[in-house]
Amino acid sequence: MTDIAQPDRCIVCTTCTVMCPVAKNCLDFLGPRMIGPAHQRFRLLGMGEDESLHYCSNCKNCDISCPCDVPVSTFIMRARAEASREKPPKFRDWILAHGELLACWLRFIPAVFKNFGMGFAPVRLLLHALGIARQAPLPAFAAQTFRRKFKSLSQPQNLPRQVVLFPGCFVDIYEPESGLDIVAVLNRAGYEAITPEGFVCCGLPLVANGFWQNARQNARRNLEELARWTDRGLPVLTACPSCALMFGKDYAEYFPDLLPRNLSPVLVDVCEFLTGCMERGELSAPDVAPGAATTGDDHILYHAPCHLRALGAGLPGLELLRLIPGLRAEYADSGCCGISGSYGFKKDKYAIGMRVGSALFSAMRQSDAKLCASECGTCRVQMRHGGGKQTLHPVSILRRWLDGK
Amino acid sequence: MKPTDVLVVGCGLAGLTAALTAASRGKTVRVAARGAGTLAIGNACVDVLGYVNGEIVRGNPLDALGRLPEDHPYRIMGTEAVVKALRFFSRLCDENGLDIRTESRENLWIPTALGSFKPTCLCHPYMDRKSLQGHDRVIIAHMPWLKDCHAQMIKTAFARQKGFRDRELRIVELAAFGGQTHRNLTPLDVARFVDTPDGERWLSSQLANHVAQLDAGLCTAVLLPPVLGVERHREIRMRMTRNTGCTLAETVIPPPGVGGLRIRHALTQAAARAGVQIMENTHIVAARTQGRQCLSLVAENNGRGRELAASSFIVATGGFLGGGVVASPGKARETIFGFDLDAPERIEDWGAPDLLDAQPYARLGVKVNGRLNAITPDGDARWDNVYFAGRTLAGYDFASEKSGGGVAICSGHYAAPRC
Repeated sequence: MTDIAQPDRCIVCTTCTVMCPVAKNCLDFLGPRMIGPAHQRFRLLGMGEDESLHYCSNCKNCDISCPCDVPVSTFIMRARAEASREKPPKFRDWILAHGELLACWLRFIPAVFKNFGMGFAPVRLLLHALGIARQAPLPAFAAQTFRRKFKSLSQPQNLPRQVVLFPGCFVDIYEPESGLDIVAVLNRAGYEAITPEGFVCCGLPLVANGFWQNARQNARRNLEELARWTDRGLPVLTACPSCALMFGKDYAEYFPDLLPRNLSPVLVDVCEFLTGCMERGELSAPDVAPGAATTGDDHILYHAPCHLRALGAGLPGLELLRLIPGLRAEYADSGCCGISGSYGFKKDKYAIGMRVGSALFSAMRQSDAKLCASECGTCRVQMRHGGGKQTLHPVSILRRWLDGK
Repeated sequence: MKPTDVLVVGCGLAGLTAALTAASRGKTVRVAARGAGTLAIGNACVDVLGYVNGEIVRGNPLDALGRLPEDHPYRIMGTEAVVKALRFFSRLCDENGLDIRTESRENLWIPTALGSFKPTCLCHPYMDRKSLQGHDRVIIAHMPWLKDCHAQMIKTAFARQKGFRDRELRIVELAAFGGQTHRNLTPLDVARFVDTPDGERWLSSQLANHVAQLDAGLCTAVLLPPVLGVERHREIRMRMTRNTGCTLAETVIPPPGVGGLRIRHALTQAAARAGVQIMENTHIVAARTQGRQCLSLVAENNGRGRELAASSFIVATGGFLGGGVVASPGKARETIFGFDLDAPERIEDWGAPDLLDAQPYARLGVKVNGRLNAITPDGDARWDNVYFAGRTLAGYDFASEKSGGGVAICSGHYAAPRC
């Protein structure tokens, strides 16, 4: 691990600890300032690790709030990687980090059995014993992955333009419908979607759970595949803000030696791409959907995933929703939902995650919106679980309106 | 990304005030924020002007503006603008559930964690020293399990003050909440606990028990670190006042100050409601200009630029801390447009020997005209649609003058209608 930034850029202002949702909800966590730059000094001297390192959820609110560009979460993730070399992560963490691999192994078991298994009380007890909270809203496996569905999908002929779609593990394994919604809207804007086989999991859950070398291998494969498409001048889109953050910011901080010199590894947010399509006139905003006002679906509560906020590109999903005539999109502005990828599923973190998300849950309950929106798959899972309302990707909502539903 | 009427850079007190002022006038507003802004760690008070040339400002701080140098931001904007801005800000806080105001328009003195008093102007009205001195008894809440909480020091310092001579000063100790932790607890941790129903009950019942053991009939105030909630401060304080029968006051403390977070919460909620879009973690690194017009600002985006176009721009990027101004030996530079700032050539002239004196480097910043446009050494506006606000401005030393919050609010509020 070379090129580790030095901690002295930190001026100890405490803003990151004030804005950290875990420090706010768990007094046992020393907070990002201490576990990040402050403790980094001890690490550089070869002194011991703090016991509360494992509490960080890698939500990146520290990086968002820092006035001095200190890579706080990178210090913490590198420290976790080091700690994992000495003491390998739990089997539970391996399971949660390797969703893509697990899905691949289990692919011959029909989803109905897998989901029956996952919902089956003794299985949940077993998982609970392994450290996956019994109450946590584990998402159900889709009958077919997005990639398989995509293969048998016939897109309209003679579309004038092409884009590449990096679906992200969540859409691929658990929610292929939202991937299909994206393809349908892209088609309508005149784009044929390509979903290459060469991309693998971005590696963010691997880093968060301490599997640094696995993440590095994934980063290498993804960067090679990305170059193949960007060399052809094709934009590579993703629906998942965490994947976009991993490619766009984290690869450079975690694995700087893997980055080819002239490539900035950008995955374009699909909502940002579609607002661009609307501005260029490639996609026209839907007409006011007949009857929508009477169903109450014309009011949407939008939640911004932390990793989207960390990307620094604004809230394109909210902008996209606000381009839909007759739709009122309200910004929840309630901070982190608490799930942070695999964090909120863990037995020892579930309660923290639920406390973190409580502001968002009460905003959802108090809002008269029947439908909520967010770009991040696990945010949506947590929002349905904690806020009790249907939650979709903004593009899925756009598709409903385009189809006049 | 669609152009907006106004693009504000910075989400501290100046940036948020500018954004909300522009939005209240029907403009579409986007805020590009790098970091959460210093407001997040500050206190619940707005200093307008506490000292001029080292002399304390008593009475109405607006009456002292005339004693400031002509190139001071307050002098450039004028007294009327300051009055209007402070009124706008107080109303904004009130509408969003927070009492940050001035009753008398005069400077008042509020207690610090050390038991000293500092001058300020807008604050929670019950923090005023006069209000504390109007009580027969002041109970100082001691939380020995809390960082930087020294009730005995406060009591000793109060006892030396004339206004507290014949008052009963009494320390009561509050029991800790939660289990064991190896983390340093701060008043923010307590305030967040008090924001929950359990926490409110925990504090309210302890205070009520202590008060019940004292002789009734004495008009009593309780002085606490800022622990009376963050997001539900107003209602919590109201209920606890009723339960204890005492006036509840809080000290100002070193970061994290809790009160600033209350203000930030109120302002960001207002911004979300007003449709102001805050782009977080957005680092503006350059500007595209044409003659005296700015066309767009460029955000750093993984090595590529992302252009943010608008009709007008308000730059509230802060000073050295916020990254709006950077210095190298003998030179200071504004970071977005990249022009040099007037700075002493000899580095020895940047600082004064006494740390607590006014510091020349603290006045370094962007020189502006009466519209808050940056000006060239000849006095011409550099760009007609770019306005500077808050600590980026030259000509004031917020720390020694105690004028930071006031200049931030006023320049933000002053810049917005010019967009």
